[in-house]
Amino acid sequence: MQALLSYDQSPPMAAPFRFFLTAPLFAVLAGALLLWGGPDALASRWTPAILAVVHLMTVGFMLQVMLGALVQILPVVAGANLERPLWVSAVVHAAMTIGTLFLAVAFLSFAPYWFAAASAFLGFAALVFIVAAAASLRGVPPTSPTISGLKLALVGLSVTVALGVAMAVSFGGSFSLPLLQVADYHAAWGFVGWGLVLLTAVALVVVPMFQLTPNYPNVFGARFMVLALAALAVWNAVDLFWPGPWATLAAAVVVAFPPAFATATLRLQQRSKRPRFDPSQHFWRLAMLSTLLAAMLWGAAVGFDTVGEWQGWPLLFGTLVIFGAFVSVITGMLYKIVPFLIWLHLQNLGSGRLMAPNMKKIIDEAAMTRQLRAHGVACLLLALATVWPEALVYPAGIALIVAQGWLALNLRAGMQVYSAHRRKLDALPPASMQLG
Amino acid sequence: MTFRELMSGDHRHCDDCFVAVESALGRDDWAGATQAFAVYERAMLAHFSAEESLLFPEFEARTGMRMGPTQVMRNEHAQMRELIEAAASALREHDAVDYSGYAETLLIMMQQHNMKEENILYPMCDEHLRDAYASLSARIESTLHP
Repeated sequence: MQALLSYDQSPPMAAPFRFFLTAPLFAVLAGALLLWGGPDALASRWTPAILAVVHLMTVGFMLQVMLGALVQILPVVAGANLERPLWVSAVVHAAMTIGTLFLAVAFLSFAPYWFAAASAFLGFAALVFIVAAAASLRGVPPTSPTISGLKLALVGLSVTVALGVAMAVSFGGSFSLPLLQVADYHAAWGFVGWGLVLLTAVALVVVPMFQLTPNYPNVFGARFMVLALAALAVWNAVDLFWPGPWATLAAAVVVAFPPAFATATLRLQQRSKRPRFDPSQHFWRLAMLSTLLAAMLWGAAVGFDTVGEWQGWPLLFGTLVIFGAFVSVITGMLYKIVPFLIWLHLQNLGSGRLMAPNMKKIIDEAAMTRQLRAHGVACLLLALATVWPEALVYPAGIALIVAQGWLALNLRAGMQVYSAHRRKLDALPPASMQLG
Repeated sequence: MTFRELMSGDHRHCDDCFVAVESALGRDDWAGATQAFAVYERAMLAHFSAEESLLFPEFEARTGMRMGPTQVMRNEHAQMRELIEAAASALREHDAVDYSGYAETLLIMMQQHNMKEENILYPMCDEHLRDAYASLSARIESTLHP
């Protein structure tokens, strides 16, 4: 009955949009940091600049958009309305934005008090969000695998944040952790336990619906997502207590999940009933191909010493996963969500007096295509920069700034259409007078 | 059969009709697109009418919820009718850009609306109107496929 009472409106527009509009700015900052760090930054995955860049992207870009999108889709796909969505969004967004900046400073300075401050803000943001989302989902019957998947993704997020906070606190010297190992667990829970599970839960709905494909095969239901979390837990346990070949095997099981999902998605895309791919579909395809490449690279690093001993392989792997896969698929979804929500809010405000401009008038498709190309170039240069840092780190940093600055401008263009149409509506007599 | 299966099946039928217009436009076949759009429009309006005149009133009578989910669905139907009208007019003027903009908006509107119905409202109908399925589904069928 809870779902029944809360079954009405989408949340106020400001709730998700503050997340969407902030995200590309963090990615621009990541590009600037790459320029500042120069080729030395790419010496290994553990340099201060790279740790800062990675977290500006994963927390500043990815997590921002993911949480903003959840605020929007929980009511639509699950009938689960957040209590006071504006308040939750404002608090989570503010704490996350400050916490992400603090975390970048913490990595650059390695000062314990910055880590403490960052983990306080980020831990608080995650806690507020997870409690609010879990409360909204409590008692929602799992009528679709997506609903189960959203619940499971929250588990993945909780573990990721807990491991991250534990590491940040241990930098403060209060206790010691096997940091390199825990960092791998933290990354894997973030990418697979949270990222992939959330993406699968959402993809089960949005890929068939918006790209007009058949449904995902049944194996990609709730079981797939439960097994992904179980594989992570098994790998962690084996790695802690029986390191060696068994741990590698357990890790390989975890690494098999993303390419399985990517392959299924690419096959569905081939069967799309839509006569031509739009920019959003291209972003999805790029993301899935990057996922396959990342998995192959992981296999090569484990199987061949020449790859495994190369310092740059984890950087290339991270580039493929973060920029090639997640940033691509997230951008592809933003280009659907943002114009649609602007249209929806304008249409509701207009209440029949004035038709809202259609989605392609809100963000021009040609502008999306151009930004898609810029993003593709940025991904390519970033990947190549891990191989030839001296020659390519600066072009890669600039390309990242251009691509993400462009994304910010495209989203802003949508907001300008929104403001302009609102002014037109304000000039009209109110709806009630017209009806009377 | 359940209401969820019956009505979700008709959603998929509407999707297919929607795609037929896009495919015709992909071939630059304006006459074919106009014809396919008419089929799509009829399917959509029949679906709305089956819900608004049969399923929703029965749901409202059984549950006493008149201003609840069904009211939200009616409002979204109204928004989709406006979009269908706008898309039809773009099609009449052979304006491919405008058509694709309205069609895109309509597609997302349709799909998020279907999702709410299929995951929330239809399961509620199956819960509350179980015993009325036999009689009601026959009337719904004849509205959907006159």
